[in-house]
Amino acid sequence: MIFAQIFDTINNGLLVIDRDMTVKYWNRWMAVHSGISSDKIVGTSLFSHFPALDRPNFRRNCKSVFQFGNFCYFSQRLHKHIFPMPAQGSLADCFDYMQQSCSIGPLRNQNNEIELLYISVQDVTEVVSYQKKLIAMTNTDQLTGVYNRNYMESHLVREIDRCRRYDHTMSLLMIDVDLFKTINDNYGHPCGDYALKTICERFMANIRKSDSLIRYGGDEFCIIMPETPGKDAYRVAEIVRRSICDRPITFAGVTFSVTISVGVATIDRNSDDVESMLKKADEALYCAKQSGRNSVT
Amino acid sequence: MTKLTEQTFSCDEKDILQEVMNIAFGQATAELAEVIDIFVILSVPYIRVIKGSDLPGYLLKEMDGSPVVNLIEQNFIGKFSGQALLIFPSGAEKELIKLFNQENEAETYGVDIDTLERETLIEVGNILIGACIGKITELLKDFVTYDPPRLLQQDLSQSTPSQFPIDKDSFAISIRTVFRFEQQNVEGYLFLITRQRSVQWLKKALQTFLESFM
Repeated sequence: MIFAQIFDTINNGLLVIDRDMTVKYWNRWMAVHSGISSDKIVGTSLFSHFPALDRPNFRRNCKSVFQFGNFCYFSQRLHKHIFPMPAQGSLADCFDYMQQSCSIGPLRNQNNEIELLYISVQDVTEVVSYQKKLIAMTNTDQLTGVYNRNYMESHLVREIDRCRRYDHTMSLLMIDVDLFKTINDNYGHPCGDYALKTICERFMANIRKSDSLIRYGGDEFCIIMPETPGKDAYRVAEIVRRSICDRPITFAGVTFSVTISVGVATIDRNSDDVESMLKKADEALYCAKQSGRNSVT
Repeated sequence: MTKLTEQTFSCDEKDILQEVMNIAFGQATAELAEVIDIFVILSVPYIRVIKGSDLPGYLLKEMDGSPVVNLIEQNFIGKFSGQALLIFPSGAEKELIKLFNQENEAETYGVDIDTLERETLIEVGNILIGACIGKITELLKDFVTYDPPRLLQQDLSQSTPSQFPIDKDSFAISIRTVFRFEQQNVEGYLFLITRQRSVQWLKKALQTFLESFM
């Protein structure tokens, strides 16, 4: 009596299935969030209502619980959700589905044999949304909204690793705004900030979705271009350079021209790591500066 | 270390324990083949009692020169309580993904390869640990529950006992087995660390187990 009440009032999804995947119990939480009432689903196959569950990974884990009496876990990180259900309240704007953390455990009869198993479903959408916000905050530059240096370091390690593993290529653009200090000095910091934002917008308009734009330092930027050989990276660098010098920037009635210098580096899969990649790009940038600025090397 | 083993278990008890482990791991091997469709070879378990603080050094020695490891840690709770540590040398996760046919699932799940590798390690670990512990406790007439497994990536040569997920003042009964997947060249080590308070129960359970054959 008491346990039956808990089963139906607890703020978690709970269901019980047998070896044939037939639903034996389905609590009110499951009914409310799935839109499938208990009398509709009890006695029928779980897979007939949730065909996407019928996959090796889910079957393997159920089998393991029946066989060994252990517990299996379906993390939100990998599975996102086990039962497709709408996210609740204001979170519905950011998530197509409720994010779930699920576990499966054995239920034994009087002879200690495992006849049934339970599945519990926990709504972790809110936690995931905080996680996403936190990750975004640690990886984003506040002023321009592009990635920051913190993101670059981990991202570049991953990209270089991927190039080595799959024998692919990648390039890196190191960009510096020419004489940026004079913009701040002549027109004030709000104007300098506006210039940085405008520059980022123009960069973004000229790179692919798979490329990452990073604010590396005050007026230094970096673009990581996966799957891009040096020749193509150089071409993009030229386009990006022209997108800045071709159109002056206007802020609070003042119009001024800005130029950038770009250094291009392409990975050598045999020898490059993060440090050497950055060093190569930095050296190329230095050459571009030396050759009179507003150029690509 | 051998001295500690002798202090904790009599010769007979050690023999029975060894026998229980042999039977349990034999059954686990057979049933794992059925559950995960993969043939796992478990070596004859090797039992030893060691001090918690000596464990990282001991593991490093047992791991035979690959100090960077993936360590899956899971607590089990019953009359027989303790901690299972499943250790794969770093890099094994790539082979395990192939083995579990999850190579193409990164797209299915919409996650990056690192997440898939980590989660595969955890899933494989959970099932292997569950199979071994499940069979041991079944033979000894106990039923255990488990905490969710955790994955730690660790450099054993760098870790000090305080960083290690083991209570350093406790004694550990280390049951070591090497397992190998037949289709892939992946080896791992399973250590079951049980606390001293499980020892009394274990001794009694071993006795009961022996009597059931008399």
